[in-house]
Amino acid sequence: MQDEQQAVGTERYGDRSPYTHYVVAALACLAVAAVATPFAGVLDVANIAMLFLLAVLLVALRAGRGPAVLSALLSVLLFDFLFVPPRFSLAVGDVQYLITLGVMLAVALITAQLTTGVKRQAEVAARREREARLLYALARDLAGAAAEPQVTAIVERFMHEFAGMQATVLLPDANDELRRAGGDSSKLAYLEARLALLAYRKGEAIAVDALETTGQAIAYVPLKAPMRVRGVLALAPSTSSRTAHAQIDAILPAFASLVAIAVERLHYVDVANRAEMETASERLRNSILSALSHDVRTPLTSIIGLADSLTLQKPPLSQTAAETAAAIRDQSTRLAAMVTNLLDMARLAAGGVRPRKEWHLLEEVAGAAVQLLGRSLAGHRIVIDLPRAMPLIEFDAVLIERVLCNLIENAAKYSPPGTTIAVRAKLAAHTVEVGVEDDGAGFPEGRRDDLFAPFVRGRHESSMPGAGLGLAISRSIVAAHGGTIRAENRAEGGARVMFTLPLGSPPEIVPEIESTPVEAPRD
Amino acid sequence: MTEPAWSIVVVEDDREIRRFVRSTLEDEGCKVAEADTGRQGLIEAATRKPDLVVLDLGLPDIDGLDFIRDLRTWSEAPVIVLSARSTEADKVVALDAGADDYLTKPFGVAELLARVRALLRRHGRGADGSAHFAFGDVSVDLSRRSVMRAGEPVRLTALEYRLLAQLIGNAGKVLTHRHLLREVWGPSFVESNHYIRIYVARLRQKLEGDPAQPRHILTETGVGYRFQP
Repeated sequence: MQDEQQAVGTERYGDRSPYTHYVVAALACLAVAAVATPFAGVLDVANIAMLFLLAVLLVALRAGRGPAVLSALLSVLLFDFLFVPPRFSLAVGDVQYLITLGVMLAVALITAQLTTGVKRQAEVAARREREARLLYALARDLAGAAAEPQVTAIVERFMHEFAGMQATVLLPDANDELRRAGGDSSKLAYLEARLALLAYRKGEAIAVDALETTGQAIAYVPLKAPMRVRGVLALAPSTSSRTAHAQIDAILPAFASLVAIAVERLHYVDVANRAEMETASERLRNSILSALSHDVRTPLTSIIGLADSLTLQKPPLSQTAAETAAAIRDQSTRLAAMVTNLLDMARLAAGGVRPRKEWHLLEEVAGAAVQLLGRSLAGHRIVIDLPRAMPLIEFDAVLIERVLCNLIENAAKYSPPGTTIAVRAKLAAHTVEVGVEDDGAGFPEGRRDDLFAPFVRGRHESSMPGAGLGLAISRSIVAAHGGTIRAENRAEGGARVMFTLPLGSPPEIVPEIESTPVEAPRD
Repeated sequence: MTEPAWSIVVVEDDREIRRFVRSTLEDEGCKVAEADTGRQGLIEAATRKPDLVVLDLGLPDIDGLDFIRDLRTWSEAPVIVLSARSTEADKVVALDAGADDYLTKPFGVAELLARVRALLRRHGRGADGSAHFAFGDVSVDLSRRSVMRAGEPVRLTALEYRLLAQLIGNAGKVLTHRHLLREVWGPSFVESNHYIRIYVARLRQKLEGDPAQPRHILTETGVGYRFQP
C-alpha cells in the first residue's frame, strides 16, 4: 500500500510525457501484486481484488484515463493470474470467479472513466479560479493606477505572468494618432502601426498568424470602453508555445475591457482635473486682473478728477496753467482707456470671457455706443441705418457695444471731421452683417488682414493715439459670439469694417392683451 | 442751488479721490462730510441726515452693498455709487440693493456734477405732486394719463404708458431691467428682458426725434435705462 501511494503520489500530471504515465500505471499494478502475494493464502480473494481497484482509482486520479484503462486491464490479468485459483494460470477454476473478474473489470473501467472526468472538471475549475483571481488582481491594480504608464506596466506584468506574453498599450494622442502609453520602455519591439490603427478605428481585434517571431506583435485588440474605443492592446509571444495562446484567448475579452475601463477612467479623471485647474486659474486670473484694474484706476481717477477740477477752479487759472491741467486730464483719460483695453485684451486672450447673451435690438446698442462716445464724435455726422425688419439678435450687449465703440471711434480717428460715419446692417439667411463705414482714406493696401492682430495699426508712423488694440479686442469679442470680422475699402472711397453675428431664433413676444390705448385728453 | 445748502456725505477710502469729489461739490455750494470707512460713513449719514450719499463700492471695512442695504432701512437719501469694478453685474447688484446711480472710475467733474444735480433735483422736488412733465417736444399729464407730442396726442398702449410713467417718475435715476419688469409687467416677467427692449424701442419710435440716437430714454448697456428730461 505504502509503495503504491509513493509511486502514484510522485506523479505530476503534465510534468512528464504520457509514456511515463503508462509505465507508472503498470508499475502500480505490479506493486499491488507484489504486496498482495505474501498474503495470498491469508486474505480473501475478494479483498485482494479491492486492492487492485484502489490502485486503478489512484492511477485514474493522478495519471488520467489512458493509464487508468491500462491499469484496469493489467489488474484484472494479474489478479486472475496470481490470485484466482488455479493460481499462476489464466484459467479460471470456479465459474463464479468469472463474475468476480467481470465485475472487477467493469468497476475498474467505470472508476477510471468517472475519476478522470471529475479530475478534468476540477482542473477546469482550478484554471477558471486562477483566471478569476488574476483578473481580480488586475482589476484591483488597474483601479489603483493613477497614470497611463502605470496601466501599461500593469498590463505588461500581467501578460508576462499569466501567459508569458509581451504586451503594450497604445493610446490615441490629441490628434487621434496612436502612441505607446508607456513610452519606448516596452520590450515589445515591433508592431505594425497600420494594423494597430485599423483595430482602433474599426473596433475589431486583428490577429497576425503568419509572423510568429518573438517580439513581433501578433494580435491587436481594441480597448472598448462604454463611451468609445480608448486604444489598442498589442500582444506578442515571448515563447512560441501554442498553449499560451489558447489560454489567453479565453480571458482576452475580459482582460481588454478591464484595461479599457481603466483607460477611460483615467481619461475622465484627467478631464475633471483639467476642468478644476482651469476654474482655479480663471479665478486667479480674474482676481489678479480686477486687483490690477482697481490699483491702476484709483490713482488715475484722482489724477483725472483733480486735473479736471483745476480747469474749473474759481477764480480761473492763468491760461497756460488751465491748458496744462486740461492736457493732464486728457492724457490721463487716454491712459485710462488704454489700461482698460490692455486689461480687456488680457481677459479675452486668456479665453476667460464668456458672453452673457440676451436678445437685443441692434439699433439700441448702436445708439448706446454712439451716446457713450459722445464728445469724441462731435466733428462727425453719425448715421444708424438698419433694415426696418431687424429681428432680436442674441449677444452680450456690453461686449458688442464695445465692438461698435471701437469701430466707430476708429472711423472717427481716421476720417476728417465733418464727414459721415454710418452703421449699417444686412440680413442674410442665418447671420446679420453689421458694418461701420467712413469717408476717410481707407486702409493701406495689403495690410487689411493683420489689422486685427494686437498692437497693429493701419499707419505705423501715425500721430494717432491708441495702442492698436481696438480691432484685436473686437475680433476676440466677435469670435466669442461665433461671428467673423473683416475690413475692406469701399468702392466709393473710405473704409468699412464688417462683422457677422448668428441670427438664431428669437423668443416670441406675447402681444398686449389689454388693448385700451391711452387716449388723448378725455374732456 | 441758492436754497439752504445741500448736505452730502462722501464715503471713499482713497484720500485724493475724496478730496477732488469734496472740492467739486463744495464749489457747487454743497456742505460735504467725508468718511474713509463704511462704518464712519453710516455714522455720518445717521447724524447729518444728508440729501445725498456718494459711496465707493470697494471699502476696506464693510461691503458697499451692505452699506446701501443698511442705509436703506432708515434713509431715502439718493446714493451714487463709485465703482472701479468693470463688470456691469456689480453695478446692477448695487442698484437693485437701493443705489440710485453709478459712476465708473475714472470719471470727470462734469459727469459727477451732472449725476449729483439730477438726483438732488429729483429728490428736492420730492412729492410736490406736479402731474405735468415735459421733455423735448413731449408733454405728459400724469393725472389725465395723456401724452402730447408737438401738440398732437400720442396713442400709447397701457404697458407703454406704464413704462413711460416709471421712467418719468424716476427721472435721472438708473432703473435696472429687473426693476422695470417688476414695476411694469409684474413679478412673473423678471427673466424677460427682451420685452423691455421691444417696448422701449416703441416708446422711442413714438416720442424721440431720432429713435436710433435717443436723447431722453437712454440705454445703460448691461444695466438698464435712464430717463433724462
